Amino acid sequence: MSPEDAKIILQAYRPDGSDAGDAAFAEALQVAKDDPLLGRWFEKQQAFDRAIALKIVSIKPPAGLRASILAAETAEKPSPFWWVQPRWMAVAAGLMVAVVIVALYHPKAARAADDGSFLAFVADDAKHSERHGGRGEAAGALQAALSQPTAHLGDPMPVNFDELRTNGCRSLSFGGRDVLEVCFNRNGTWFHCYIVRHDDFPSLIAQARPEIENLDHYKMAAWTNSAQDFLVVSVAGEAALRRLL
Amino acid sequence: MAGDDFRQLVDAYYEGLYRFALSLARNPSDASDLTQQTFLIWARKGSQLRDLSKVKSWLFTTLYREFLRGRRRSQQVTALEDLPPGESDPAAPEVDVVAGMDADLTVAALQEVDEVYRTPLTLFYLQELSYKEIAETLEVPIGTVMSRLSRGKAQLRAALDRRDSRGRNKVLPLDSQMEGKR
Repeated sequence: MSPEDAKIILQAYRPDGSDAGDAAFAEALQVAKDDPLLGRWFEKQQAFDRAIALKIVSIKPPAGLRASILAAETAEKPSPFWWVQPRWMAVAAGLMVAVVIVALYHPKAARAADDGSFLAFVADDAKHSERHGGRGEAAGALQAALSQPTAHLGDPMPVNFDELRTNGCRSLSFGGRDVLEVCFNRNGTWFHCYIVRHDDFPSLIAQARPEIENLDHYKMAAWTNSAQDFLVVSVAGEAALRRLL
Repeated sequence: MAGDDFRQLVDAYYEGLYRFALSLARNPSDASDLTQQTFLIWARKGSQLRDLSKVKSWLFTTLYREFLRGRRRSQQVTALEDLPPGESDPAAPEVDVVAGMDADLTVAALQEVDEVYRTPLTLFYLQELSYKEIAETLEVPIGTVMSRLSRGKAQLRAALDRRDSRGRNKVLPLDSQMEGKR
């Protein structure tokens, strides 16, 4: 690969390191490592890109936009007045029966939508690691266990969900359900471990052994011990995650 | 979608979508409308999405399609690919000049970039999507995304340079620095 070809490819390398695990960049990065001129160009390019990205992200939407979006979604729902008419009450009753039947026989559809929203929530949180922080004793023990070089994902871990929630992990809420997060470092690479109660997300994860899946443009290893579900997210690519299995 | 879930989705993505919309529409009012319309479409059709790990790509793609649809309705369509080539070798402001620049000025400079390059460039700088996802969103090949990013950055540097009224810290473009030392 010529330095000029490498330059074209490296222009697409995001300055926040999200693409570090993408094999498509490996050869171009190697060329930049071997060619001092290209290496310097790449450093400057990344600094420039970082500066522009910071400026763009600092643009705030108009103050009322979020509320407008939420209000518009609510307005899409039927008015509370029309259905008091008997004709519509009959239709609504029929629909309710149909919905109950569908929900009984196809509960997976509703759960899948909920699980998808939750995974999007996790991916977004993992992306913003600058928000992560705050540790207590209980989280420290879990963090230490996860950071052990010999530990494997899926091994039994010191997890007392309620204790972690009150004395340790960063605690988030998704749809009123608790989500705990703790970061850990293994061989210089940071990972994010999310823990939820299995009963809160009954269809999210079925397997007891960790399996690697796509999570937006990240990779995650997901498994359950029946009481809790675990999602370990890697922003450093699949290879880094596989080393933890 | 339950209200809480919808709220979570809005909180996760509305700022990024608004910034993308602003770079397309070039005014806050249209950008707000585009963002709101995107979430309304999600409320109506989002449940049809089979691969739920692609919610974010779906939202950005939908916003972009809505922008194109609205423009087709209201304006004559410009043959984007026929636009004259941008400056390929512009002067590049130093990073500290960019850092010291007002965010609005930076966005204004970005909006001077031809739309065909500005769209992938904005998605790149939002850092929400990989180049592969940008290619899927814009329905163009990956190689096209890479070349448009390269050209777009050159145009952006030129626009920033024009806006750097202080007239200092002008340096040679990165390309020229490389060539000069070879």
